[in-house]
Amino acid sequence: MVSPILLIAIPLGLTFCIPLFGFISKQIAKFIPVLGMLFNLVVAISLIPQVMEAPFTVSLGGFPVPFGINLVVDPLAVFLAGLIALVGLLISIYATYYIKKGDTQSYHMLYLLLLVGATGIVLTGDIFNLFVFFEILCISSYALVAYNRDKPGIEAGMKYLIQGTVGSGLILIGIALLYGQFGTLNIAHIARYIHSATPLSVFLPMALLITGFGVEAAILPLNAWLPDAHSSAPSSISAILSGIAIKMGVYAVIRIIFTLFGAHSLLHYVLFIGLLTLLVGEFAAFRQKNIKRMLAYSSTGQIGLIIFAFGLASAMGIKGALFQITAHAFAKALLFLAVGYMIYHSGSMEIDSLAGMGKKIPLVSIAFTIGVFSLIGFPPFVGFASKFLIVKATLAQQDLLLTIFLGFVLLATVIEGAYFLKVIQTIYFKNNKEQENQPQHSTSLAVAIPICILMVLIIGIGIYPEMLNKILSSAASMLLDRGGYIRSVLP
Amino acid sequence: MIYYTAAIGLIIIGLYIVLTKRNLIKVIIGLDLFETGIFILLVCAGYIKGGTAPIFSKAKVNPSMMVDPVPQALVLTAIVIGVATLALALSLAIRLYHHYGTLDLRKIKELKW
Repeated sequence: MVSPILLIAIPLGLTFCIPLFGFISKQIAKFIPVLGMLFNLVVAISLIPQVMEAPFTVSLGGFPVPFGINLVVDPLAVFLAGLIALVGLLISIYATYYIKKGDTQSYHMLYLLLLVGATGIVLTGDIFNLFVFFEILCISSYALVAYNRDKPGIEAGMKYLIQGTVGSGLILIGIALLYGQFGTLNIAHIARYIHSATPLSVFLPMALLITGFGVEAAILPLNAWLPDAHSSAPSSISAILSGIAIKMGVYAVIRIIFTLFGAHSLLHYVLFIGLLTLLVGEFAAFRQKNIKRMLAYSSTGQIGLIIFAFGLASAMGIKGALFQITAHAFAKALLFLAVGYMIYHSGSMEIDSLAGMGKKIPLVSIAFTIGVFSLIGFPPFVGFASKFLIVKATLAQQDLLLTIFLGFVLLATVIEGAYFLKVIQTIYFKNNKEQENQPQHSTSLAVAIPICILMVLIIGIGIYPEMLNKILSSAASMLLDRGGYIRSVLP
Repeated sequence: MIYYTAAIGLIIIGLYIVLTKRNLIKVIIGLDLFETGIFILLVCAGYIKGGTAPIFSKAKVNPSMMVDPVPQALVLTAIVIGVATLALALSLAIRLYHHYGTLDLRKIKELKW
């Protein structure tokens, strides 16, 4: 058996070995993230059979559980760790081609560090450790947003940094208040005694923690940084921020609400905020002229849908939300990678400049189309399976208000379809006079491989969604079973 | 009690600076004050007046007079994180100044909604 600690330790070790490998050859650096994520993917998959039987905890440094830091290895954590490794692997293959300018060595270090942070967030069972991994994720993403060192990149990075730092400060105040009341930092240990405290003294840390993590999750009033950061970053970074980083914020918020506080009465509010985020995101995306900004706003919308589905608080709703996380991670990664390649060729982010790409780079255009279809939710792509599950879960509640909300969700999907199909029309059916005589480009292999794998995944899981059924069901029931989580950590 | 007042006062002053000042360097100083306030709040959570370090090998130290070491460890970690954030913020500020020739946040508006 491979210890789950290696999921964090090996990539972290490799990160800081990158400058050492740099002495041998400058070219090695870009293959280290590929190596680290390949390792993580293999370990995560090999852990699946074991966690399906029973979740287990690993205490770090040999300290017994409430005193030391522990990792909680349950189906949800392993599933998300696998997803992070898979998406991270594909994007790092793309980056071997895409990242040429600037200090590439530090790019690859920061990129791997970001993924280490994300993996740590899903595995840890200690609230301060969660904060530390969260900061690793955030600080490396601030730096990566500004990687191009151009005007928009630096400005977006600065905005993101200021908002993110205030957010993480709020998290730390929340942790300080919790520690002052309960004298422990272990999530399960706090969760066991949380109901013995007065509601008011628990409410303040809960509000602070949710607000703090909500900044990274881009929940509605806290998402001002997102469109700037996602559109100004290099495309491979936009892909990882959109595919993985914001999901970690959502994961932290959900973990806090479901496991730490067990605050199910809050979920109606969460559901409503999710719906608002969805509608505002999609409406804002509708009027964008810049393709990356459009995708960034669409990410906000999709996060809203995920939060809406978590807010349903039924096993099926959470399963739908986890499915939507997967679908969105694949589709948005694919879209940003495809758009990055198109921008690389057209030199402009305006949607009009993408005209005629369908003829010029056919493979990437098909990838973009599949990503868009999956995001809107056409069958047989994976987006259909996830949205269908969310619709089914909402209707299963048999609540009039929820059915009305569902109407708004579907309205948002229609808007999404409207603006995305407009882009597809531009790509395929508008002719760009300047580029008409140019020959077809053959797509580079480092770009073609990740794009093809993502396409296969989107179609494959879309046709056969049962593939993820078992692990997602058990992850959803684990998230709802608060007592089970506490018992598995503290026997 | 006075420590808590000081901590919360610093947090509020820091947030006020971040929200109202137009100069980027002042905003970064505000962030620093905000973080410092949080560190003091954390240390206060484990502080005992006249307490000593929790070293059990020393004879005749009453365990109830020992300061809780966990918040201090947390603050050390948080200080390291804060240093990283501020260093990054200042280096971005330098870059921003190169591009725009100003640190006035009202004039830095390349990106809009």
